[in-house]
Amino acid sequence: MAGSNTPSSGPTPAKKEPPPPPLTPLEKMLQEMGSIREDGSDKFFGMENYGNTCLTAALAENLRYPSPNAHLEAEAQAEKQKAANAQRPGVPPNQPQKPEDKDSPEYKKKMALQTLPLLETKNNAASYGMSETLFTSLKDIFESVVGSQSRIGIVRPEHFLDVLRREHEMFRTAMHQDAHEFLNLLLNEVVANVEAEALKQPPMEKALPSTDSSDSVEHSGSSGSKTPNTTRWVHELFEGTLTSETQCLTCEKVSQRDEIFLDLSVDLEQHSSVTSCLRKFSAEEMLCERNKFHCDNCGGLQEAEKRMKIKRLPRILALHLKRFKYTEDLQRLQKLFHRVVYPYHLRLFNTTDDAEDPDRLYELYAVVVHIGGGPYHGHYVAIIKTQDRGWLLFDDEMVEPVDKNYVRNFFGDKPGLACAYVLFYQETTLEAVLREEEQENMDAMAETNESVKQNGSAQPSSLNLVHSASHIPPPDEPVRWNSLKRAPTAPQLTTHHENTQAESMPSVPPPVPPIPETHTRPLSPKKSDLQSRKEKAREEKERKVAEKEKEKQRRKDEEARLKEHRESQRREESELKAALEASKASKADEDRRNHDSSKDKAGHGLSRLKRGSKSFSHRLSKDKDRAPSSGHPVATVDEHPPPNEAAPSQQQQQPLPSTEHPPVSRISKKHTIHEDEQDSLKDPKHDKGGSHGKWRSFSFRKKSFSVLS
Amino acid sequence: MSPCADIWTLYRVIVTALSRLTFQISVLPPPPPRYTVPVAYAAGASNGMAVPVVETNNIISHPEGGCPLQVGEGTYLLKDDLHLATPPPHPSEAPIVNPNPLATVPTPPTSGVKLSLLNIGPRNKTPVFTLKESVIAPAFGDGNPALAAPAVKEGIKRRKPKNNILKSSSSFVSRVITHEASTKRLNDRNPEGLFAFANINRAFQWLDFSSKQKDEPLAKILFTKAHMLSHDVNELTKSAAHIDVALGSSAGDILWYEPISQKYARINKNGVINNSPVTHIKWVPGSENLFMAAHANGQLVVYDKEKEDALFTPELENPSVETIKSSGRQPLQILKSVNSRNQKSNPVALWKLANQRISQFAFSPDQRHLAVVLEDGTLRVMDYLQEEVLDIFRSYYGGLISVCWSPDGKYIVTGGQDDLVTIWSLPERKIVARCQGHNSWVSTVAFDPWRCDERNYRFGSVGDDCRLLLWDFSVGMLHRPRAHQASARQRTSVVASNSQHPNRLRADSAGNRMRSDSQRTADGHDAYDSTVRHPVEPRSRTALLPPIMAKEIGSDPICWLGFQEDSIMTSSLEGHIRTWDRPREGINENYNGHVSSPVISASAPKSGSASAIAESAVGSL
Repeated sequence: MAGSNTPSSGPTPAKKEPPPPPLTPLEKMLQEMGSIREDGSDKFFGMENYGNTCLTAALAENLRYPSPNAHLEAEAQAEKQKAANAQRPGVPPNQPQKPEDKDSPEYKKKMALQTLPLLETKNNAASYGMSETLFTSLKDIFESVVGSQSRIGIVRPEHFLDVLRREHEMFRTAMHQDAHEFLNLLLNEVVANVEAEALKQPPMEKALPSTDSSDSVEHSGSSGSKTPNTTRWVHELFEGTLTSETQCLTCEKVSQRDEIFLDLSVDLEQHSSVTSCLRKFSAEEMLCERNKFHCDNCGGLQEAEKRMKIKRLPRILALHLKRFKYTEDLQRLQKLFHRVVYPYHLRLFNTTDDAEDPDRLYELYAVVVHIGGGPYHGHYVAIIKTQDRGWLLFDDEMVEPVDKNYVRNFFGDKPGLACAYVLFYQETTLEAVLREEEQENMDAMAETNESVKQNGSAQPSSLNLVHSASHIPPPDEPVRWNSLKRAPTAPQLTTHHENTQAESMPSVPPPVPPIPETHTRPLSPKKSDLQSRKEKAREEKERKVAEKEKEKQRRKDEEARLKEHRESQRREESELKAALEASKASKADEDRRNHDSSKDKAGHGLSRLKRGSKSFSHRLSKDKDRAPSSGHPVATVDEHPPPNEAAPSQQQQQPLPSTEHPPVSRISKKHTIHEDEQDSLKDPKHDKGGSHGKWRSFSFRKKSFSVLS
Repeated sequence: MSPCADIWTLYRVIVTALSRLTFQISVLPPPPPRYTVPVAYAAGASNGMAVPVVETNNIISHPEGGCPLQVGEGTYLLKDDLHLATPPPHPSEAPIVNPNPLATVPTPPTSGVKLSLLNIGPRNKTPVFTLKESVIAPAFGDGNPALAAPAVKEGIKRRKPKNNILKSSSSFVSRVITHEASTKRLNDRNPEGLFAFANINRAFQWLDFSSKQKDEPLAKILFTKAHMLSHDVNELTKSAAHIDVALGSSAGDILWYEPISQKYARINKNGVINNSPVTHIKWVPGSENLFMAAHANGQLVVYDKEKEDALFTPELENPSVETIKSSGRQPLQILKSVNSRNQKSNPVALWKLANQRISQFAFSPDQRHLAVVLEDGTLRVMDYLQEEVLDIFRSYYGGLISVCWSPDGKYIVTGGQDDLVTIWSLPERKIVARCQGHNSWVSTVAFDPWRCDERNYRFGSVGDDCRLLLWDFSVGMLHRPRAHQASARQRTSVVASNSQHPNRLRADSAGNRMRSDSQRTADGHDAYDSTVRHPVEPRSRTALLPPIMAKEIGSDPICWLGFQEDSIMTSSLEGHIRTWDRPREGINENYNGHVSSPVISASAPKSGSASAIAESAVGSL
């Protein structure tokens, strides 16, 4: 089940959101964000789900996996704030929010209107069948985020913090805490909690969230086997093994000792790279003088050489850069502002010879940044890579999309005292990276293409004429690109109803096929005879003048038609919306298709992250025992996003269980009944009609654009 | 900076200021009012970082016994350290008031100091290697009648750019400061002396390294809106009376600058053709007019210095969805072919390689291939005459930053964000070795042609770790089988046999590209298929090469490295240009550039011993 669910959670954001074009410059994005927020922010970016769902996909098939991580970063920051107020995804409210005290409850409440009732975050521990622990409260937060209908909002992790303070004295004060320590504590605590609970009561899945009965039923069959793994998931993600080899210089005997680690703390040097810091980490170290090594072989303390190498590579490599160093002179910790560069991708040089997959490729997906002059004060923020929306900056309540290059502002050499403090690298594959790049390229090409057309109409040249012939008549194709680009600034409809309609439609299989068709060769009238068209193109070149006139004529016609349609266009705005969504979906679908064709075996997803999660689920499915364990949290995921999301991916890759799953969840929806979900239930019915109308509105849309341009 | 250096500096400033006073008043507008130190500097200070002194004059220093480089052939001694002055910000540019560390406004790209060196000697000083393919490659764009240069009569003066930079009212050029005695200096100088062009921040300086007043630029241009990121001198057209320099800026604009007449022309003005920063710029070898610029948005553009700009429309004959779809996979999208008949205006050719920044590119010595490195971590070997990508290699991880060719064109060396220098073989189309030794990203790699011969190669690399590393490798070493190499060999041979030989593709006439749509599309797929994408070789199968010398040479990242007949030169982020003299007993008895004997061959055997050391070291790895 886990396998089928994960992919379905992947596409979620893609479909749901109107495209904030990931490639547009930041300013533009911000502008768009601003305007949309006023319209009704529900239509905007899924910050909340986003941060989490992306991590979901990134980290694991298990819903719970992401939670530690997402919150780590988030929470870590929160800790710093003396107020110990946590942050979490919020709207990208630019300036207005800042002046307001982030900690002010009034303000938060305002924002919280868009989020879940706090109730839900309160205490679900019982429903998990566990006593209240850090883990459960964390899970509460996470679930509430997932359960939230809006895509943006703020979570108040009060409860989480309460638990934290209750159990750990150090957090009771307003003292500034270290993010890395917190990460450690949290991971360990979660492990401990989970293990303790597992001992107490094996059948966890039965205690599944009350919200979803169908899922727990589904899983109960395989539940028995789950228990062993439930305690292991943190380990599976973060844990690696270090081997320390110590060679006694007296007897030359090498003794080895394995240690497990959840993260690596590396010393820094000025003007170095993470790569080099890791190498230094594994450099040979002399054990001498006061630090001699007790050799079992020759007995007694001896001088020795020690080096640490990585024997088992973790899936997620958490690198703690030791920016805080004790200086003897000052008798206190001091922050190092060394310039330490970190690449977007990484491999480890310091592996043992027998390590499995020593060339494993890692990808940077999160950076925790410390801002401030010293270790005793300051602020933490996180920059996290999302599945398909690029990078986001999480600064307490504020969430802002940032450029990929922004990630490189924290090497330590820039003014402003902000330095990367913890880096998270996750395993990936070259194929996945390639696919992501391809995707980027294609997006860029789409833009180029559009600009070609715009240029073309703006100032016809002989060359433009060649394609303008085909350019004019087809209503569909150009629209597609236009609509993609303009969507964010286009007037938005804000009601849930339409929203979900739009979301649901594209995801239903039937409407999809027609869309790709139009893309493959949409230039309608001449569609069939490619050959002749080409020849025509040549002729046209020769008959430039004549063509020009023709073209003018055509344009006029078009404009006329356009005027006619303007009125109707307005009326049909809702349909238009749907169309936009459809185009998005179709694009996603098309992309996926491309991937599939290019890489059969690996073609599971849009992006690398998803692929990452895929590989997890592969492993899990190999190991039957594990699957169920992950299944139960995932089931909760499935419940919240409209079920349709699962559809396209199923179409593509058919993991066995998926076929049966969606219907079930759809039915279950009837019980949970949110407005939108009901709508989504309908969608199978009206998809055909819907697609029809969709395309109609498309053409209208297109005309309006040509006028605009 | 020590107090006494400060005083000395101050003294110099006063003296030079006084000495120039009359000149400046008469010719130039008064210097801008006092500069405030940008807040960013202050923030830097509170970070514990050195605060750059606002200094308008270059400072030359001769560190005593400083920084010798010890290698097999002897010791390279640091001759001097020329610190270029970082110009203060233009008064119109508001200093950053609030250095919000989280500000999401992208900062404009800048680059450390890079040099373009120029010898206007009668003889080409760089050793020439006999290239394997004795066939002389046709010139770029050969065969396109639209590009045929109008026959230039011999002896006629070269055409200069149109605008006088001194009298320019351009908002792009802020001001130009010429040396008061520049004419005299130019007349008196040793004709074989070395000129250097250097960018620093928003300034661009023309320096005469053979002069006694090495620190005083012959001319200094200050720009308003952009930093120059890259520049190059045309080797073909250079003469005592004419130097063609192409400058690429962070705004995308390109300047064609002729320093002797102080004339300039702007190309891609206001980014009309491509508005993303020019990350690298090079004159097309063998061409008087054409140069190639790499833009940060992944486009390679060939411009003609004498052509006007025109709004660029991609010449995709068929901008269909198929092309778009496949373009994501295509290693090269020809948005305008050099064979296009529409050559009345710039660009001459425009290729889209990726959606990521092109870090650098290098033309092969045989003037047929082009090695391009990108931020996406690929090294793409192109046949640029045919406009196709032959091979795509990948870094171990992270982006690639720098690339260069061995003097004989057999090897390509790259440096990247994996802290590695990697050697690739062109004829074998495979990775040769990874060179480990840097502690940070490798910003420049360069071969030392004076220490290369048919079997042994010397190259150097500099990086963000403030270090200079020298490397030797020899052909013999490369063929030494290592534990795992047997399998590696097999693998690569399979790859090679799968690949189509480039020559076969060359047989295709350029006319193909003008074919009709469907064939063109097919062509595109062919091109796609013919590109060999090489997998990343695992560490266990790749030779690892240690440096023969590694030395920290400064306190700021080094961003450029160059080898001269008598010296090694580097430049750094903050403007330190360091020059090391080669060991005396070696190549050059009287190093001042007066030597003209063919000493190259004499130097070659020497490197043998050094590389033998490296060889054994490799074997033991």
